[in-house]
Amino acid sequence: MTALAMPGLVTRRRSIPWTVWVFGTLAALFVLLAAFGPLLVGNVDSGDLQQRLLSPGQRGHLLGTDGQGRDVLERLIAGARPSMIAGLVPVLVAGAVGGAIGITAGLSGRRGHALVMRTLDVFYAFPAVLLAIAIAAALGSGTLNTVISLSVVLVAPIARIAETETMRLRDMDFMESARASGAGRLSIAYRQVWPNVRPALIVYCTALVGLALVFAGGLSFLGLGVAPPHPEWGQMINEQRQYMFTNPELALAPAVVIFVASLTFNLLGDGLRDLLDVRRPR
Amino acid sequence: MTRFLLRRLLFVVPVLFGVSVIVFGTVKIIPGDPVALLAGPGASESAKDALRSRLGLDRALPIQYWHWLTSALRGDLGTSIAHQQPTRPLVLDAFDNTLILTLYATVLALVLGLTLGAVAALRPRGIAGRICSGITSIAVSAPQYSIALIFIIYLALRTGWFPVSGMHGVNGSGLGDLLWHGFLPALTAALVPAGVIGRIFRAALLDVLGMDFVEALRSRGFSDRRVLLHAVHNTLPSLLTMAGLQVGYLLGGVVFVETIFNWPGLGLLLFQSISSRDLPVIQAGVLISALAFVLINVLVDSAHALIDSRVRTA
Repeated sequence: MTALAMPGLVTRRRSIPWTVWVFGTLAALFVLLAAFGPLLVGNVDSGDLQQRLLSPGQRGHLLGTDGQGRDVLERLIAGARPSMIAGLVPVLVAGAVGGAIGITAGLSGRRGHALVMRTLDVFYAFPAVLLAIAIAAALGSGTLNTVISLSVVLVAPIARIAETETMRLRDMDFMESARASGAGRLSIAYRQVWPNVRPALIVYCTALVGLALVFAGGLSFLGLGVAPPHPEWGQMINEQRQYMFTNPELALAPAVVIFVASLTFNLLGDGLRDLLDVRRPR
Repeated sequence: MTRFLLRRLLFVVPVLFGVSVIVFGTVKIIPGDPVALLAGPGASESAKDALRSRLGLDRALPIQYWHWLTSALRGDLGTSIAHQQPTRPLVLDAFDNTLILTLYATVLALVLGLTLGAVAALRPRGIAGRICSGITSIAVSAPQYSIALIFIIYLALRTGWFPVSGMHGVNGSGLGDLLWHGFLPALTAALVPAGVIGRIFRAALLDVLGMDFVEALRSRGFSDRRVLLHAVHNTLPSLLTMAGLQVGYLLGGVVFVETIFNWPGLGLLLFQSISSRDLPVIQAGVLISALAFVLINVLVDSAHALIDSRVRTA
């Protein structure tokens, strides 16, 4: 249990597993692609109708062109930004909000704890994607609305993890001594609880990025993401689904990209779990 | 047992109250003035005010909520804008087909997940175990729409093994036809839950197999199969709870699966309603799904209590 009180000392001695190296690099590449991808390609919103539906490799188009003669690879690169924003930002927002709610609930008295947790139960009653769809559909399409709806959906599970971790610490000796030394609630939350909750939260949120990418792609697949001429991965799948019988690769390309991105963050989460020695949540 | 069930049902009431508040809330966050939209651009202020009071939108929010809730409890879930008919029969008819798909997917997820998890736990260092463990890791990140496309292209279009879309063939009828048409959609929906169940089952089985009582059974000369049977029995509680939660993932995921496979369920209805901005249908659909999800978890908890007497008295 001393390991919990001094997380830094223990984790620094652990050797970093290969999965963290490989998938950490891949995840960084996805983030870089989101940051600089749109700068690498020109205007991808309009295409040359003479060049429509070229197969992969034809006339210098590595992944071919879509029904409007636009290069699929360029659109995938340009679409990285809204797709990754919709996957990353909700997890960051929900991580901060949910983390704060969870720690507060864990440190509160019986009534406060029950009130927060029963409220979170309500969000657990919805199938997550459907709640996100209901909110996004009401707010209207657009990346900001996707981010808002996904943030709302992700708060409850993150808060529950933070609460479980905080409850585990509650009766430990170092918490007792912090209280005895006269530390205030805020100071205990920040100095004693937060450093010990952090590893579990980081691991969980990393894996959650994978899920958020899938949800975000799903919302834009349903037409709730970026408005049509601009590319976004999920929306590209839906757009190119109509050519499934003649040019199946078209819809397959963005579908595989989302799959790989989601897999990357999930496996990075698994690697971090081993590295930071976090228990699997039940 | 009856007392447990009653207490559990009582616990559901505040949750359902919260669910209704949130669904009502999604109506209220729609940007813009709904009255201006309904009345049209040329409407006078007095005409708008009349419409507002006819719709009850001039009252306080809690009163509006109360009216919405009482009519919802009477079965009136509003009128579909696109179909110009009450949403309830529309949503309930579609939900029947979704339940068929969800049930099919649950069965596939359990069979797949338990097999993968068992092999991974019993052969932790063997090749088969590693492959099964790897499949569960990949399966949990699989987006349904990606998998659906891959299945359609490689298992339906290229090979002709399965139909591309729909629920029944032109001349087909009966259970066999339904199972054949539903196989790819159900398998697509089942993949993530199968991965999650596989991981949980593997971890739980490894836990139990390391316990003293397993050693004791072995030393008393029990065969491997009987030892495994006792071990599996001990993993059931955690497995049940997890499987119940996965149904929520299935009910959400069907939106994508049904849209791509053209399965005439709630998911396809929601997809169509999004493009026509038919919000009453979306809200009714989400409400029904949440109700079903809550109900299923009550059933799961009851099953849990039946297996494990400690839960009943806790």
